[in-house]
Amino acid sequence: MLKVSEVVLDFGGIRALDTVGFTVGDGEICGLIGPNGAGKTSLFNCITRIYQPDSGSITFDGTDLLGLRRHQVVRHGIARTFQNLALWPKLTVLENTVLGAHSLATPRLVPSAVAWPSTRAARKRVDLRAWELLERLDLLDLASHPAAGLPFGTLKRVELARALISEPSLLLLDEPAGGLTHAEVDELAAVVQGLQAELGFSVLLVEHHMGMVMSMSDHVVAMDFGRTIADGTPDEVKRDPAVVAAYLGTAA
Amino acid sequence: MTTVQSPTPTPTPERPARPAARSGPRVVVRGSGAHRAAQAVVLVLLAAVVIWGGSLDPFGQGQLTRAAIFALAIMGLNFTTGYVGLLSVGHSAFLGLGAYTTGILVVNYNQTAISTIPWAMLVCFLVGLLVGIPALRIRGLYLAMVTLALGVAFPEVVARLDGLTGGAEGMTIRRTLLRPPDWSGFTLGEKDAWLYWLTIVLLVVTFVVVRNVISSRYGLAMHAVRQDEVAASASGINVAAIKLVSFGVSGAITGLAGSLFAMYIGSLFAEGSFTVLAGITLLIGLVLGGERTLAGPIIGGLAVVLIPYYTSGIGQGQASAVLFAVVLIAVIFLAPEGVAGGVARLARRWVVVVDKRPESIGRGR
Repeated sequence: MLKVSEVVLDFGGIRALDTVGFTVGDGEICGLIGPNGAGKTSLFNCITRIYQPDSGSITFDGTDLLGLRRHQVVRHGIARTFQNLALWPKLTVLENTVLGAHSLATPRLVPSAVAWPSTRAARKRVDLRAWELLERLDLLDLASHPAAGLPFGTLKRVELARALISEPSLLLLDEPAGGLTHAEVDELAAVVQGLQAELGFSVLLVEHHMGMVMSMSDHVVAMDFGRTIADGTPDEVKRDPAVVAAYLGTAA
Repeated sequence: MTTVQSPTPTPTPERPARPAARSGPRVVVRGSGAHRAAQAVVLVLLAAVVIWGGSLDPFGQGQLTRAAIFALAIMGLNFTTGYVGLLSVGHSAFLGLGAYTTGILVVNYNQTAISTIPWAMLVCFLVGLLVGIPALRIRGLYLAMVTLALGVAFPEVVARLDGLTGGAEGMTIRRTLLRPPDWSGFTLGEKDAWLYWLTIVLLVVTFVVVRNVISSRYGLAMHAVRQDEVAASASGINVAAIKLVSFGVSGAITGLAGSLFAMYIGSLFAEGSFTVLAGITLLIGLVLGGERTLAGPIIGGLAVVLIPYYTSGIGQGQASAVLFAVVLIAVIFLAPEGVAGGVARLARRWVVVVDKRPESIGRGR
């Protein structure tokens, strides 16, 4: 269970997050919505230790995430994708995916240098899992293609494969539908839901595509100006006056 | 954070569309018969060159030994500057540190030359870790400045420690101290042939080790750190550890080259062989040969030893330096990714190597 409470983040004089708090239960899909600049990605970056909040706490299954270093977050079962993509452009789609398993089976220098049998076995295991995910995400034909030059929507799926191979218990998706066509959005939602049902991870989903958020999420958190303004089922949040006001402006 | 921006697929520029003949590059699966055969051909050719080198006259063989030593030094530089992207201008210091470790142990402590190699590597590994610390915070030109300082400081430090190093007058290792070990079967008179074979063996071993690392998931992590640190740490890669260790290993490999260089040259002058100019020479060799390629350092080692030799035969004095520069500029223009990189790019027009799919995946092709 991810528990975010009273998180405050300042950038100089600007308060990006102002006492944000909510929880994501085990096996739950939680949608996080809000207008641009509401602080959704900032919150993601706090959870994954790219930003250090000024106060508040973030725990996951009892572990204080704020006490971890960046690369340790995924070891505790939290994997993420990025809004603007953060892949390694010169590596192939397969290599990008394989690297996502770094936390599960961390390669060591000396066994790698002498091609120790256990190292080779681990590589084989990871490779196989990567291929399975590529098949699942319809990326098989691109496996040996470098990430650079592939369409945006395809790269979003590569990021998803890279996150999934770490066998996360919580998946943070930052606008996975951004730049996708309608058909692709539906397909992506189906894939994520299918994998979630199969593997049982929970999801924190930042997305502007309301259809996707409202249809997938078990509960939805709405943010505006760095604050949580609503928290409930998709229907409740949709009707919440504060949410309507945030998106459409207040009635005169 | 954005590293892959182009939202549309860009056509590969080196492959112009030819609507008439639809013969794309040939696809070869990694590890297949054709792939293995191609590798075997390259291996046999290399073995032939090495054996031919063993039968050369002493001078030619000496030049090859020197080239192999520089290839090793550049291999070390490639490990951190190439793969992890930590620019080092001062790798001459590791070359010198390895050489002086061997020199001091042989001359002052009566060790056999070959037994000093592990010590030279260890010392350079530790110093490499230390120098890697600034690389945790800074990169690019700023890191180049720090490593430049290391390269500049090294000859000065050697001059200061004259009790140990002979200072500015240099240090001479007598030829008898470099006698090949008895088990090798080489006599003192065959010292140069012994050194040739020793260097070749160590070059091959280092090559295999580097190849293993680079083709492993550890090697992928090194690429990942260079290309996007945020993504690397989000995937669980300890960026700081990779940077530090790569700098240490890099120093150790270049230190190994330094140790062999001491045995080759016999007399050490820090102001002559281990100035920043030597560090820049290593960088030139790396760029010429091809960064982040396995063959690049070997081509680079041959280039920085043989090109000046041949150009000095053509022109006189300053003219040879100018010729060397012209060759350098020509290569950079024709193949910005170095000779090995350029050849690989050309080869991709005809042959593309793809990864082998496990049997259980897809319905096969």
